[in-house]
Amino acid sequence: MAFDMTMALVRPALKYALERNGHGAALGFTLDKLERGETHLTFPYREDLVGNPITGVVHGGTIVSLLDTACGCSAMTVQRKPSVTPTMDLRLDYMRPAQPYKPIYVEAKVYRQSSNVIFCRGVAWQDDKENPIAHCVANFMKVDSKSIQFRSIALKKLRHLMPWRQPSVNDSEQK
Amino acid sequence: MDKHNQDQLLLDWQERVGAARQEQDPQSLLDMIPYSAFIGAQAKVDDQRLLYWLDKRASNIGNPSLPAIHGGVIGGFLELAAAIEIIYSLNVTDMPKVVDFSLDYLRPGRYKTIYASCEVMRQGRKLVNVSATAWQDDEQTPIATARCHFLI
Repeated sequence: MAFDMTMALVRPALKYALERNGHGAALGFTLDKLERGETHLTFPYREDLVGNPITGVVHGGTIVSLLDTACGCSAMTVQRKPSVTPTMDLRLDYMRPAQPYKPIYVEAKVYRQSSNVIFCRGVAWQDDKENPIAHCVANFMKVDSKSIQFRSIALKKLRHLMPWRQPSVNDSEQK
Repeated sequence: MDKHNQDQLLLDWQERVGAARQEQDPQSLLDMIPYSAFIGAQAKVDDQRLLYWLDKRASNIGNPSLPAIHGGVIGGFLELAAAIEIIYSLNVTDMPKVVDFSLDYLRPGRYKTIYASCEVMRQGRKLVNVSATAWQDDEQTPIATARCHFLI
């Protein structure tokens, strides 16, 4: 495979953004593999994320977060110019209860990319990849984040320069 | 965790569920679940239904440039709310097991308080279907909706 310059530049930035910021830092997972359209991550067991106080199993919400992160990351990198991809929907099937005190491995892959939507699926497993604890399908929107950013910055500037000007219907549109 | 310890925990849990129903205090159920403290979920009885909310906190941010709440946090919060709804309002004392969870993101979750409420759509002998809605400013403009099945 040819050397992918974009990924070589994006990979460390994305790894830093996901592992050291906000909810990713709070969860404390590690990104093991970051290729175009494919993400692997490992999550060690943590007691403060338990969802069932009787059995000590981590909460389903943790698995949602992990799979959402992994799928989102795959969707971001699969584009020619990696950029932010808002999640449209996410469906998660819990195949078996997770076991306490064991790390969770997550793998997510993009399986189809159309002009507007990125389709992604992911699995989470503990001992055996063939016997996953959860499977998920997530779809992402493709947005031209650059134009949105430029547009909103320009509008903000404009409002600042002309405070008497009321924002028109077009200006307040989000997309 | 050994068997005896687990039986004791189960008894404690069932006692707590009964007390929470009697005192109309769903927050005490959330306090038993470590994950709810991790994301900061809270609950109260509000006008015949349960209202859940999630105050903003830095560790729930997913996209620092907007900033927006992490999609996984919204999902986890709604799943937690749905489970509490079942324990509190149905005659269930065990922890319900989640079978599947389907989440639609309608708007970005801005960096402020998220509210949620749930509705039990159907209760069968084994399965319960719950729908949950999350909103921020106005209940009429939800940021996400979820449907989930639980085994009871």
